[in-house]
Amino acid sequence: MAGETFTAYALVPAIAALPFAAFLVSLLFGRYMPKGGALAGIFAMGGSLAISIATLLTVAGILPGDPAYHETIWQFATGIDTFDLHLGVYIDPLSALMLVIVSLISFLVFVFSLGYMNDEGETGLARYYASLSLFSFSMLAFVFADNILMAFMFFELVGLCSFLLIGFWFREDAPPSAAKKAFLVTRFGDFFFLIGVVGIFATFGTGLFANVTRDGSTVQSFPALAEQMMNGQTPAMASDMLDIVGMSPQAWITVLGLLVLGGVVGKSAQFPLHTWLPDAMEGPTPVSALIHAATMVAAGVYLVARMYGFYALSPTALAIIALTGGFTALFAASMGVVKQEIKQVLAYSTISQYGYIMLALGSGGYVAGVFHLTTHAVFKALLFLGAGSVIIAMHHNENMWDMGGLKDKMPVTYYAFLSGSLALAGIVPFSGFWSKDEVLFEALIHGAGGNPLFLVAWAMGLLAVFFTGFYTFRMVLLTFHGEPRTETAEDPHGVRWNVKFPLAVLGILAATVGFINMAPIAKLTNLHIDFLHTWLGGSELVAEEFGTGLHHYEVLLEEVAGVSAAYPIGGEVTTMLASAAVSLGLALAGAGLAWSLYSGPEPVEHTNKLGGVKTLLMHNYYQDEYQVWLARDVTLPLSRAADRFDQGIIDGIVNGVSSVSLLSGDRVRRIQTGVVSNYAALLTLGLTILLVVFGLVGGWF
Amino acid sequence: MLVELLIVTALLSSVLVMLAPDEYAGQFAAALSLVPVAASLWMYSVFDGSGNALLAGSQPAFETVAEWITLGAYTINWHVGLDGVSMPLIVLTTVLTTLAIISAWTPIDERQSQFYGLVLFMEAALIGVFAALDFFLWFVFWEAVLVPMYLLIGVWGGPRRKYAAIKFFVYTNVASLVMFVGFFALVFGLGDSISSLGLPAIAQALNAGELGSLAGIDPPMLKLLAFIAMFGGFAVKVPVVPFHTWLPDAHVEAPTPVSVLLAGVLLKMGTYALLRFNFTMLADVARANAEIIAIFAVVSIIYGALLALAQQDLKRIVAYSSISSMGYVILGLVAFTPHGLGGATFQMISHGLISGLMFMAVGVIYNETHTRMIGDMSGMADRMPVTAGVFVAAAFGYMGLPLMSGFAAEVLVFLGSFQSEVIQAAPLFTSIAMFGIVIVAGYLLRAMQKTLFGPFRLETDYEIGRAPFQDIAPLIVLLLLVIALGVAPDLFYKMIQDSIAPMVELGELGGGA
Repeated sequence: MAGETFTAYALVPAIAALPFAAFLVSLLFGRYMPKGGALAGIFAMGGSLAISIATLLTVAGILPGDPAYHETIWQFATGIDTFDLHLGVYIDPLSALMLVIVSLISFLVFVFSLGYMNDEGETGLARYYASLSLFSFSMLAFVFADNILMAFMFFELVGLCSFLLIGFWFREDAPPSAAKKAFLVTRFGDFFFLIGVVGIFATFGTGLFANVTRDGSTVQSFPALAEQMMNGQTPAMASDMLDIVGMSPQAWITVLGLLVLGGVVGKSAQFPLHTWLPDAMEGPTPVSALIHAATMVAAGVYLVARMYGFYALSPTALAIIALTGGFTALFAASMGVVKQEIKQVLAYSTISQYGYIMLALGSGGYVAGVFHLTTHAVFKALLFLGAGSVIIAMHHNENMWDMGGLKDKMPVTYYAFLSGSLALAGIVPFSGFWSKDEVLFEALIHGAGGNPLFLVAWAMGLLAVFFTGFYTFRMVLLTFHGEPRTETAEDPHGVRWNVKFPLAVLGILAATVGFINMAPIAKLTNLHIDFLHTWLGGSELVAEEFGTGLHHYEVLLEEVAGVSAAYPIGGEVTTMLASAAVSLGLALAGAGLAWSLYSGPEPVEHTNKLGGVKTLLMHNYYQDEYQVWLARDVTLPLSRAADRFDQGIIDGIVNGVSSVSLLSGDRVRRIQTGVVSNYAALLTLGLTILLVVFGLVGGWF
Repeated sequence: MLVELLIVTALLSSVLVMLAPDEYAGQFAAALSLVPVAASLWMYSVFDGSGNALLAGSQPAFETVAEWITLGAYTINWHVGLDGVSMPLIVLTTVLTTLAIISAWTPIDERQSQFYGLVLFMEAALIGVFAALDFFLWFVFWEAVLVPMYLLIGVWGGPRRKYAAIKFFVYTNVASLVMFVGFFALVFGLGDSISSLGLPAIAQALNAGELGSLAGIDPPMLKLLAFIAMFGGFAVKVPVVPFHTWLPDAHVEAPTPVSVLLAGVLLKMGTYALLRFNFTMLADVARANAEIIAIFAVVSIIYGALLALAQQDLKRIVAYSSISSMGYVILGLVAFTPHGLGGATFQMISHGLISGLMFMAVGVIYNETHTRMIGDMSGMADRMPVTAGVFVAAAFGYMGLPLMSGFAAEVLVFLGSFQSEVIQAAPLFTSIAMFGIVIVAGYLLRAMQKTLFGPFRLETDYEIGRAPFQDIAPLIVLLLLVIALGVAPDLFYKMIQDSIAPMVELGELGGGA
C-alpha cells in the first residue's frame, strides 16, 4: 500500500528500531554515560511516541495516507515450498492504538525510573536501561507484527526481557527465582502457542493476520483462509492437513485457536498459568508497571484481539476464553482481599483485570475488550508508579500495615493514586467504569442471546466487581489514610519531579480516558460519542481489503459463531443502564465495606474473621504448591530416575559388552600404560586390518 | 583445487605447529588456522554449486575427480566437491577450529605444540569428511578424525581421561565397523552396476533400483539390513539414544576446546553421514520406517533433556542437551519435507555454534573457579559480569530464543515435520518433540539461577577475577554468528534448500525396491 508520497508509515519500523538502538547504546556505553544510559532510552521512547502518534493520526485520516498499511520488511527464511516466513509491519486502527499506548507508558516508565532507580544510588543502571529498552523494542515489534510467526518471535523476546528485569537484583535469592518462574511458566504456555503457530503454517501456509498485496496479487491471511475453509472452500494444503489430523475444519480451527491461547494464558497470567505474576513483583517497581500495563501481560490479550477474525470462527474457543476470563477475574480478585503488601494487591488486581479483557473478547465484545485494555494500561501503570512513589517514601518497605497517613505528606501521589483507584474500582466517571461496564454489558447481552456459558462467565465477572471495590479501597485506606503506623510513614522520603510528572500525566488520563467510549451516554443521547467503537470499525477499506476490523468481526460473530444479542431488561437502553447501575452499585458496596472496616485512624486487620478461608486465600488456593510439586517432586525425580537408568542399565550394558570383548580388563589397562605413539600405531594397525579384510572379501586383490 | 588447498593447509599447519616451541604454539596455530577460515569464507562467497552432490543433475562446487587407485573391479577416485549441505559444514569446521584454538590458550598448559598440532590435523580430516565424494576417501578421513580426538581426550583430559578416551574410541570404531559392513553389503549387492566407489554413483544406482541379491538375501531385505547397520553405526556418532553413553564421559573428561570441537563438529559427522547414506541412498527404507526413526528422534529429545535436568555438572548438562538437540536433526530428516530436511541441516550448523558457545562459557567459568559443579558456586555474575552476560545469552540461544540461530533451526524442523506425510501422526510426534523447548528452559534456567545468580559463594579456594580478553573474545564472535544466522538464516538456508530439494521426493515411489 506504500504510495509515492511520503507518509508517517514509512517511519513505522523506527518505532521499534529506536528503542533497539537505545538498547545497544545503553548496553555498550551506558556505564560511561550520565544517568546510566537513561537519556538514550528516554529520547528513543520520545521518538517512538511521536511516530506512534503520527501513525495514529494517519490512520485517522488527519495526516495524509491510507487508513491501513502493510509492508514486508525482512525475508526470514526462504524455502522451496510456499511457507511465507517473513517479518513485516501491519498498521490498522488496533495496532496504531496499541503502539501509542505502549510507547506512552514506556516513555513515562523511563522518566519515572530516573526517580526510582537513579536517585536511589542503584548500580547496574546500564543493564537496567538496556533491558528496559529491549523490552520496549520487543513489545512494539510484537504489536505491529503482520504475521503470527513474527508475533511469536517477539512474544518470546518479551519473555526474555521480563526474565532480565524481574531478576534485575540478581545478588539476592528471590528475584532470580521469580525470574526463572516467570520464564518457565510462560514458556509452558508458549509450548502450546508454538504448536499452534506451526499448525497454522502447516494448514494455511501463511501466518499473515491480514490480507495483503504483494507483487500485484493478493495474499490471503490465515483467518481469511480459515473462513473459506468453514464455507467449504478448503485450500489444497489445508485439506491435506485435515486428512493428517483427521478432523473437521470446525474442530481443527478450534484446536489451533486453543493452542495459540496457551501462550495467551501464560503471558496474560490467566488461570492456571497466573502463578508467575505475583512473584514477578521481585522486579523493580517501574518494571512492574511496564509488564502489567503495556508490555508482557498485555501481549497475550492483544494477540487474541489481533487474530480475532480467527477466534470469531469458533464458538467453542470463544466460550473457553470467556469462561477463563470470568473465572480468573473473580478468582484473582478474591485473593487480592487479604494481601498485606501494596504491590501484591496490585498484582492480583492485574490478573483479575486481564480476566475482564478475556471475558469481553470471549463473549463477543471486541470493542469492550480493547477498551478495557486501553483504560487498564493507563490506570494500572498509574497505580504501580504510585506504589513505586510510596515505596520510595517508605524506604522500600512495601507492607501496607507499616504505612498510613501518607495522604498529607505526598498529595500529588495521593490524588493520582486515588484517580487510579477510582478507575480500578469502576466508579463513575473514572475510566475503568466505562470500560468495565461495557465488558459486563456485552457478556450479558450475548449470554442472554443464547449462550448460557457467557452468562456464567458474566456472573463471575459481576461478582468480582464487589471484590475489586473492596480490595482497592482497603489498599487506599491502609496506605494513605488514618494515622502513620511507623516512624518511616511519619517522615517519608521525598520524591522529585521525575516521579511526580508521570503520575500527574497518568492521573489525569485515568480520570478521562474513559470518555473515548461512553457507550451508555451515546445510546441514551443518540450522540456519536462512542469514538473507540467508530475507530475500531475503521474504514470500509480495512474491513474489505485487509479483512480485519470490527465490521468484519461482527459479521463473523453473528453468522459463524452464532453470537447474537438479546436484551433481558426491556430494550437496549434500559438493559445498558440497568447493567451499569448494578455494576456501579456493587463497586460502591465493595468500597463502602472497605470504608466501614478500615477508615478509622487506627484500622485493624479484619481478615482473620474469614477463618480458614483466609488461610486458603493467603496461600493463593495452593496453586503455587501444586505447580512447584509438579516441577520439584515429579519432574526432577523422574529425571533422576532416568539418570540412574541411563548410568546403570544403558551404560551398564555398554560396559558389560566391552568387558567380554577384546579390549577389556587387563588388556585395556596394559594398553593404557603405553605412550602416545603406541596408541597411534595401534589405531593405524586396526584400520589397516579392517581394510585388508574387506579387500579380501571383496576380491580386490 | 580449493578443497585440496584447505586440507593441505591444515595438514601443513599441523606439522609446523608440532615443530614449534610450546610457548608460541597456541598463537602460531591460531594464526595458521586463519588461512582455512579465510579460504572457506571466500569459497562460501563464490559458491556456485547446485543440486545435491549425490544425486543426478547436480553440479558440486570446487569439484575434483582424479583416478587414484584401482582395487579389483573398482576404481577409487580422489573425488571431492561441495554442495549446499557440505559448504556450511566446512565453514563451521574452520571457524570453530580457530575459536577452539584461541579458547585453549588459557587452559592448555602442557605439550601445547602437540595439542594444537592434533587439533589442526583433525581439522584437515573433518574437512575431508564433509568434502569427500568417494567412499574410500571418505572412510579414510572418517577414521582419521578418531585418532586425534582419541589422543586429545586421552592425554589432555580430566582424571578419568583414559577410560573416556578408550570408551570413545572403541565405541565409535565398532560403530564404524558395523556401518562399513552394511555399506559393503550394498556395494557387493550392486555388483557390476557400479565401477567405482563414488558416493554419487552408488546413490544413483541404489535409487535406480539396481541392487541385486547377495548371499541369498533379497534386495529389499538387503536394503533393510544395510540401513539398520548404517543407522546403528552413525547413531553412535550423533549420538541417538540408546547409543549415547560414551558422550557424557568424553565431554566431562575432555578439555574445553576439545569439547567445543566434539560437540560442535564431530557430532555433525554422524548426522551428515545419516543424511548422505541412510536418507539419500536408502530413502525408500527411511520412508517405510519413518515412525520408528521418529520414535528414536523423540526419545532422544525428551530423554536427553530429562537426563540434562538431573545433572549437577555444568558440562554434563550441556553434553546431555546435545543429545536432545541432535534429536531434532533426526526428526527433521525423516520428515522428508523441504523445511524438515533443510531445518535439520540448519540445526547441524546452529547447534555446532551454540553448543560450542555453551561449552566455552562453561570453560571460562571453570578456568577461573576450577569447578563445574552447580553446588560449588553461586552468584558468579557478581564477579564475572561479562562472562555471565554471555552465558545468559548463550543459554537463551540454546533455549531457542528468536533472532538466534537455534530458534530458526528448531522452528524450521517443526514446520517441516508437522506436515510430514511420511511419518504417520506427524503432528503428534512433532508436538511431543516440541516439549523439549520447555525442559531445556527448565534445566538451563535452573543452572543459571544456581551458579550465576544469588549471593556470591565459591567453595574452591581460588581468587577469581574477570576472565581475560582472550577467553571472552571467541565467545563474543560465536554469539555474533549465532545472532547473524538467527536474524538471517538465508545466509545458509538458501543453499541448503537447493541441495535438499532433490531429496524431498526421493524413494517416494519405491523406485529402488
